[in-house]
Amino acid sequence: MQLSFTPIKGTSRKYKVLVAVLAVLALTGIVAYMVSYLEGLRLWGINNSVSWGQLITVDIFFIGLSAGSLVVSSLVYVFGQERYKPIGRMAVFMGLLLMIGAMVCVLTDLGRPEKMWRLFMYGYLSNMKSMFAVNGIFYAGYIGLLVAYLAAALANSKLTKVIAPVAVLWAILVHMGTGAIFGFIETRGIMYSPLKPVEFISAAFASGLALVMLLSYVTLKLGKRPISKDMYVSLGRMLIVLIIVLVVLVVTDKLTHFYPPARESVLFLTQGPWSWIFWGMQVTLGYVIPLIILCHPKWGKTVKGIMIACLICVIGIFGERMGIIFPGLSQPLQYYPGEIEGVWGVRGGFPIMPAETLMTVGIFSLLGLMYVLGLKFLQLLPTAGSEGTADEGSEATAEQKALAAEGGTT
Amino acid sequence: MAKWGMIIDLDKCVGCQACSLACKSENNVPHGSPHEWKRHQDLYWHKVIAVTEGEYPTVNTQIIPMPCMHCEHPPCVNVCPAKATYQRGDGIVMQNFRRCIGCRYCIIACPYGSRNFNFKDQADEEYDRPDLPPDLDLSYVGHIGPWPYPRRTRGVVEKCTYCFHRIDQALEKGVDIGSPDGVVPACVEACPAEARFFGDLDDPESEVSRLLATRNSFKLREEMSTHPKTIYLPR
Ligand code: SF4
Ligand code: SF4
Repeated sequence: MQLSFTPIKGTSRKYKVLVAVLAVLALTGIVAYMVSYLEGLRLWGINNSVSWGQLITVDIFFIGLSAGSLVVSSLVYVFGQERYKPIGRMAVFMGLLLMIGAMVCVLTDLGRPEKMWRLFMYGYLSNMKSMFAVNGIFYAGYIGLLVAYLAAALANSKLTKVIAPVAVLWAILVHMGTGAIFGFIETRGIMYSPLKPVEFISAAFASGLALVMLLSYVTLKLGKRPISKDMYVSLGRMLIVLIIVLVVLVVTDKLTHFYPPARESVLFLTQGPWSWIFWGMQVTLGYVIPLIILCHPKWGKTVKGIMIACLICVIGIFGERMGIIFPGLSQPLQYYPGEIEGVWGVRGGFPIMPAETLMTVGIFSLLGLMYVLGLKFLQLLPTAGSEGTADEGSEATAEQKALAAEGGTT
Repeated sequence: MAKWGMIIDLDKCVGCQACSLACKSENNVPHGSPHEWKRHQDLYWHKVIAVTEGEYPTVNTQIIPMPCMHCEHPPCVNVCPAKATYQRGDGIVMQNFRRCIGCRYCIIACPYGSRNFNFKDQADEEYDRPDLPPDLDLSYVGHIGPWPYPRRTRGVVEKCTYCFHRIDQALEKGVDIGSPDGVVPACVEACPAEARFFGDLDDPESEVSRLLATRNSFKLREEMSTHPKTIYLPR
């Protein structure tokens, strides 16, 4: 089967409005960043107890989605499953964009971003015992590989077959490394777990697949390109498996930490003030509702049902990321047995601050903008019978939903 | 080489917070506003916590002054990607503001909450001392001044240094460190109850070694295996 790809025309009014709105939001984010750089990070919600905030949450969310998109592309380019070919290029492109977004998040989150080159000194001026510095290798290599991968896929080159497996394996490394940033920190009970790296990958696969399905469907639909229902139904079945694997991992992890006498952190996560993130977002939205929809004999067979499940799952996995950062960091440290009085014993708070939130919105918009422009200037979409002008209105809706979830964080 | 350590006698401590104040003025640590205090965005190199156990009438409140523990196996040094925090040969865990990229990973890894992020520029003029050399690079000849931190850099992490500038100065001049009329960190000097002791843990003759040998002692969060060099004598 020979598929051909063509870009969208991008001349409709709606398309232009969408580009303009995204551009303005992205610009607002940039301005917010400049202001907070000049004023100091006191403009953000972070403080000395919850010292990582919205940007790191979004960062690990994006890294996960990126690794997941790559796995979808591997179905086409590694395992040669031709029926997934229509969305293969889109998946690679999304992988690259999301990774760029993640890097923007990490680097703007630094207190002294002008010194970020220190992260990439690979042992010379950086400390290779730090998972952060190790990830510097992973991230830089990953972006390089993704660019090569996308170029090869766009050129339909034979090299794709070589680059694809390397890129996918590297994506797994990237994700395990990111999990290790959290999993290796014994001080924070909710993060500390040998399963964290594996759990991170598994959540990445599930959320990445869901996002690729959702975005590709919306794009194909609005671009008036052919949509194969079978493809989405079979991807939906794959999503079921991935979510179940994730559930097994999370249950094992939490149960292990619930079992011994030192169980404060699991109790804090599941019954503390942030428990709505765990039960409401991670469990209900991330696992239960998508599984119910996907396994339902009727809903699981309709494209609409599958898409709703995907959307809810992506939001739920965002909750899972929040559930690492916010409860993980705001749990008070027990310096001495007993009840610590005053400010040193209370759990850390995290107010929503305008500058940080605008930056988060800005980064989401920046990615949306790059995606929409990519559709116009790169050959990502399969050719339609009749070339229609595209408008990507509801793609932004997906973004906005994710943002709404983000807004609920704080 | 010496191995500096601090001993805090909880039996003598009266909870007056003179140590916290002395630390703030010695190291030029900015005072925060009530607003920043509420948001947990102000800086404390030294804190005093009060831990309550039980309920009235069988209640017991323990006052515990907490500088940096200067761990033998410091998790903060492990996780710092930029080698900005490091352990000196004499065991002091140092922070290099010039190298720190402000990733705040060390705040997350420290089990004792000893690290603070600097959220804003110094506003108060009284703290602005451009006449003194700026950073803590010891190879810089002009370095030794009464205040090693004339001006703050925003966007980096700060922590207690056991007043390394006093120690280094004393070593240079050959003054005794840790004895009653010798040089000690500012918090030890300020303590009106004489509850704090500073000295060389490796030297069996020092006051701290003598105290450790004769009194029962404990460290905070020993289960974390960080082996703190700030050691407590129980009440
Ligand atoms: S107490 Fe915290 S900051 Fe001090 S050496 Fe130990 S881990 Fe590092
Ligand atoms: S904030 Fe500074 S000292 Fe702390 S880990 Fe990052 S670079 Fe190192």
